[in-house]
Amino acid sequence: MKNRILTMLTAMSLTLMTGNAFAAGELHIYNWGNYTNPEMIEKFEKMHGVKVTIDGYDSNETMLAKVEQGGSGYDIVVPGDYMIAIMVEKGLLERVEPNKMSNFKNVDPKWVDVYWDEGRNYTIPYQWGTTNFTVDATVYKGDVNTLALLFDPPDELKGRINMLKDMNDVINAGLRYLDYPRCNANKAQLKELNQMLVKAKVHWRTMDYSVIEKLTSKDVDLSQSWNGAAKRARKDRPELVYSYPKEGFTGWMDNVAVLKGAPNLENAKLFMNFMMTPEAAALTSNFANYANGIVGSEAMMNADLVSAPEIVMPASAPAPEFVPPCPQEVTDLYAKIWTNLNK
Amino acid sequence: MADSNATPAVKPTKNIDLKYQPGFSQIAWLCIVVLYAPIAVLVLFSFNENRSVTVWTQFSLDWYVKAINNDGIRHAAWVSLEVAFIAMVLSTIMATMAALVTTRTPNYRGMNLAVAVINQPLMVPEVVTAVATLIFFAIIKQLTGVSGIGYLIAAHTAFCIPFAYMPIRARLEDMDLSLEQAAADLYAPPFTVFRRVTLPLMLPGVMAGAMLAFIVSLDDVIITLFVAGPGETTLPLYILGQIRRGVTPEVNAVSTVFLGISVILVTFIFLFGKSKK
Repeated sequence: MKNRILTMLTAMSLTLMTGNAFAAGELHIYNWGNYTNPEMIEKFEKMHGVKVTIDGYDSNETMLAKVEQGGSGYDIVVPGDYMIAIMVEKGLLERVEPNKMSNFKNVDPKWVDVYWDEGRNYTIPYQWGTTNFTVDATVYKGDVNTLALLFDPPDELKGRINMLKDMNDVINAGLRYLDYPRCNANKAQLKELNQMLVKAKVHWRTMDYSVIEKLTSKDVDLSQSWNGAAKRARKDRPELVYSYPKEGFTGWMDNVAVLKGAPNLENAKLFMNFMMTPEAAALTSNFANYANGIVGSEAMMNADLVSAPEIVMPASAPAPEFVPPCPQEVTDLYAKIWTNLNK
Repeated sequence: MADSNATPAVKPTKNIDLKYQPGFSQIAWLCIVVLYAPIAVLVLFSFNENRSVTVWTQFSLDWYVKAINNDGIRHAAWVSLEVAFIAMVLSTIMATMAALVTTRTPNYRGMNLAVAVINQPLMVPEVVTAVATLIFFAIIKQLTGVSGIGYLIAAHTAFCIPFAYMPIRARLEDMDLSLEQAAADLYAPPFTVFRRVTLPLMLPGVMAGAMLAFIVSLDDVIITLFVAGPGETTLPLYILGQIRRGVTPEVNAVSTVFLGISVILVTFIFLFGKSKK
């Protein structure tokens, strides 16, 4: 018994110490869960002799809470667009200047001057997509490219709708439908929005993140959805059509960033440069099922991805809108509407 | 115990036994269904052939194969077991010592306070403990530069102590002091009394406490979420990380395996407790 306790304690102190002992060849990535292609990581490990660990988070906010205190031990994080803006402002990201790295030439010029990182001094694109909705074309045969299907649904879709349980996605779609500006603090307009949402909610079956399950189990015939999820759902339910509403829609982008005080800064920079190669970007897309913003990656991407209307936007669709974080006053008003809607 | 009273109805005080109250079996069945139906569904869909966790198509073991071949899951499961095991051993030792001191010594000043402090993790909302631990450990890490899984084990040990403490204390309180007193009367030194009398008698309580600590550590999400460092994703965290991108039956498969492990453990402890009596 005594011996065993001793062994336990030794084992414990050993594990305590190994944390730093081999730091020279390590890289600690903190990314969304199930979002990093192990094949891509293996390639990077072989190329540079670096041992990589990957941990997953479930939301930008979880990630922020954890790294904000410092000493999290992570080198790389992959926050969404608005979260980059917040983290840059809080001084949490290292200015690693990817725009001066050798592979920066591969980044699609369209994604260089973005509002969250003008000129790309901190981050590079990881994956990007759109938030729209997808609908069963055999259930609803009309034009799918309008938000009216969510907020004023035809009879065949009433009670067959799933909305994302996401305040911004629902409210921004509502604002676009009413043709009011985003980050809106106009009380009269918000009142109208609130009434419209409450009225529309009667026709919604659920508000849930599990879009693929909802659609493939035929629990609903229309669901608000990220484009990648819409494509995966279509594999099991080929009748689904992804809508690009004429009123406009939200784009999102996750970005590779390096944390300030990263224990393995040089490896983090190597990784960032590696992530801008078409090979790495294509591997990521093939795993995560989204577009990546790296020119030349299409050639190595799975054919079903390149030909998917969810991933490759039709030319007729309006450009996606990236919505910056709204002022606190607006968020408070939104939260009231959202709470009321979820009652 | 009350079985013998229940058979022939003689006295007016008959049938206080809960089992013979009207509606007992209905309510019992309802509770069992509510508790276990979701688990049964989870297990069922781990054998489903397609990727949906709601629509059944065909029996298959594919998801088990996938889970075994998934490095992320394997690593997370290993971290979970490692942390739970070490936290179980450490917290059970401390809880045993705490239980002895709070039941086998004459009441001393501050004993109630000590009990309250030991049970503190049960009273304070978990998220408060989690945030406090996060900030505290962040300061230590920045001051010392030491990182590693030790922090996670320390946090788990701390919140496992009260769970291990309660069954051990309950067992000690149930035990007849006269046995230990008799041993002492026969000139057994205190450590021999402990080794030959107290410990064997309290062992079922210690096992139950250890078991509880193990399960509580294995289950924990919130504190782990805040404290875990690089490469320290436990299974619950891994599952949580999947939510945004869709849970697959792979997770069902792993959960089923873990469920099997806990059933085996509980059965073992149950049989062990029986044979001691």
